[in-house]
Amino acid sequence: MQHDIHLFGLNHRTAGVEVRECFALSDQERFEECVLSLGRAVDEVMVLSTCNRVEILVVSPRGSGVSEKVLECWARASGRHSPDLAPHVYEHRGLEAVEHLFQVASGLDSMVLGEPQILGQLKQAYKASVDRGQAKVVVNRLLHKTFSVAKRVRTETGIGTSAVSISYAAVELAKRIFGDMADKKAMLIGAGEMAELAATHLVGAGVRSLCVVNRTLSRAEELAKRFKGKAYAFAELIDRLPEVDIVITSTGSTEPIIRARDIKDVLKKRKYRPMFFIDIAVPRDIDPDINSLDNIYLYDIDDLKEVVEENKAQRQTEAEKAREIVKSESIKFGHWLDSLDLQPTIVDLLSRGEALARKELKRTLKRLGPDCPDEVRLAMETLALAVARKLHHDPLVFLKRRAQEESGERFLDLARRMFNLDQDTVPPDAHQDRKPGSED
Amino acid sequence: MGFAELILYFVLALYLVGSGGHICGILTRKERPRALGGVVSGAGFALHGLSLGIMLAQTPSLALASGEFYLSLFSWSLLLVLFILWVKLKLSFLGLIATPLALVILLGSQAVTAARLPLPPALAGLFFGLHIGTLFASMGLMAMACAAGIAYLKLEKRIKSKEKLTGVWASLPSLDKLDAANRLAVTVGFPLYTIGLVSGFLWAGITWKHFFSWDPKEVAAVFVWLLFAYLFHQRMALGWRGRKTAWLAIWVFGLCLASMLGINFFVKTHHSFA
Repeated sequence: MQHDIHLFGLNHRTAGVEVRECFALSDQERFEECVLSLGRAVDEVMVLSTCNRVEILVVSPRGSGVSEKVLECWARASGRHSPDLAPHVYEHRGLEAVEHLFQVASGLDSMVLGEPQILGQLKQAYKASVDRGQAKVVVNRLLHKTFSVAKRVRTETGIGTSAVSISYAAVELAKRIFGDMADKKAMLIGAGEMAELAATHLVGAGVRSLCVVNRTLSRAEELAKRFKGKAYAFAELIDRLPEVDIVITSTGSTEPIIRARDIKDVLKKRKYRPMFFIDIAVPRDIDPDINSLDNIYLYDIDDLKEVVEENKAQRQTEAEKAREIVKSESIKFGHWLDSLDLQPTIVDLLSRGEALARKELKRTLKRLGPDCPDEVRLAMETLALAVARKLHHDPLVFLKRRAQEESGERFLDLARRMFNLDQDTVPPDAHQDRKPGSED
Repeated sequence: MGFAELILYFVLALYLVGSGGHICGILTRKERPRALGGVVSGAGFALHGLSLGIMLAQTPSLALASGEFYLSLFSWSLLLVLFILWVKLKLSFLGLIATPLALVILLGSQAVTAARLPLPPALAGLFFGLHIGTLFASMGLMAMACAAGIAYLKLEKRIKSKEKLTGVWASLPSLDKLDAANRLAVTVGFPLYTIGLVSGFLWAGITWKHFFSWDPKEVAAVFVWLLFAYLFHQRMALGWRGRKTAWLAIWVFGLCLASMLGINFFVKTHHSFA
């Protein structure tokens, strides 16, 4: 009843975008049908397929040698040949596979270190596996553990706390100035790609409205339509400035288009309400002197780059801490996996019973006081230990019988959970790993 | 030890724990200690209110003539304003400043050896109540504006100079929220301060037959009022906000504090506590 955990995958490090596109498992059902047709060689399977990676988790009986067969199924489901796929694929086994999965879920294996989206995608992949009845004891336990490890990494390290993209850093800064963005207006000057991205983040952060000013009005209108905003001609720029709180500029102008003297009047008109300028253009669109004016905040591309680089470095430091957590948690998971053999569970069950009996005995003897005769103490100890052992006798006989069956590990897992032998806190959604009506 | 005194020790202990909670919350950037600090300060605040009520009910004349009572009332007003701002603007970080400040002022109140004089009958009048109540409420508001102003200036400097906003800086509210605390303190605090001053003069006119007696405390209060009025005018009429108003709020509160601690305790006037 020993298990092998295999994790096959390819990601942005092992394969270029063309290869990832070719082998993304868009037709997962076809792949799973193929894998499940391998019969008793595969017990459980779960597939995660995103634009950046494919991860295939397979649990098989020890020594069943499924690796090549799984790769064949993968290649076939993608309409390709296995030799085209093999050079790009990594395979992790046992605890290495567990550690890799924990790293993926924690964002440690992502292109943007610590990005949180992957966890949601992993949850969806797990749900699909549960719905199809392909997640059983090991995958269920492994994925629940994966989610709790990812949560631990988020709460105990600062891996996801700081902005690591220019546009996101700009929005984070805007929040430090304005707090709630719901009543703020933003203006896009020029229609560069990066400004557009920053605008997308701003709209995502909840700004009330957005307007676009561009030398070519039709382009401004096109962009404004996408953000449900308004477009204005370039000549109206200074007149429109008093209405907006956040300005993002990215024109190709060689001269500054906003000068300090313009802003002094603008500030008076807006009763000195603060303004945040994000100048992403090179050469710069905004006179740097405006940063010295009260209630004006100007950040250019270099300032934001610096913030991003610092944050990236900080994430690397935090990633080291996160890797330590992942390592220790994967070792713990290894202990649980080993316990799916009958012998460790028997030992754990008896030791726990004995420990409880001794604890209660100690409490009772303390209550009886120091005058209690030694023979009484001895008799009580014999009684307590005998009760503990006899109480576990029937569950152990039951487990020994069930362990001979094919799905015996299910009962071992159940017993471990019932008696809390792994000292785990039971997750509130633990019941969801059983699909109603499925054989589990 | 009397019941009122026992309560006061409890209040001091609760403010101490509350301050610890706020400090831990800011340093660790975790919500739980901050919330705990808020709850414990809240319990202290309720008990503090009870203790003030008891002091007033037992011997109103003694209470109203002692520096101990006024300092204790000031400490309580600070937290009253904190809780209002907490609910209205979600400015829980002000607890970091207000609770320890309330603790120190309350401790200070215990160090004051008040001369317990019988209260003249006219003290119980409406104007005197208005005078004390509104002045302390507005001072509480200005204390908050001062704390928010200091935080504003520090945070703004970091944003302007493009320094990293990590640690304590990351847990501060936005500039906009800090400025909103100033706005609230000025729009509510200035009218209250004005009512406090006018009612004091009216009360003096009724009691001593002259409204203004060039008492050092009165002169200082008028000076504070002028500065406060300037801040109010610039803010309301010209729309001033941000750095300048933060500095003005710090000055107004600093002068209030200097006048209360300096003149009331060390200068011989009819406002003396000693």
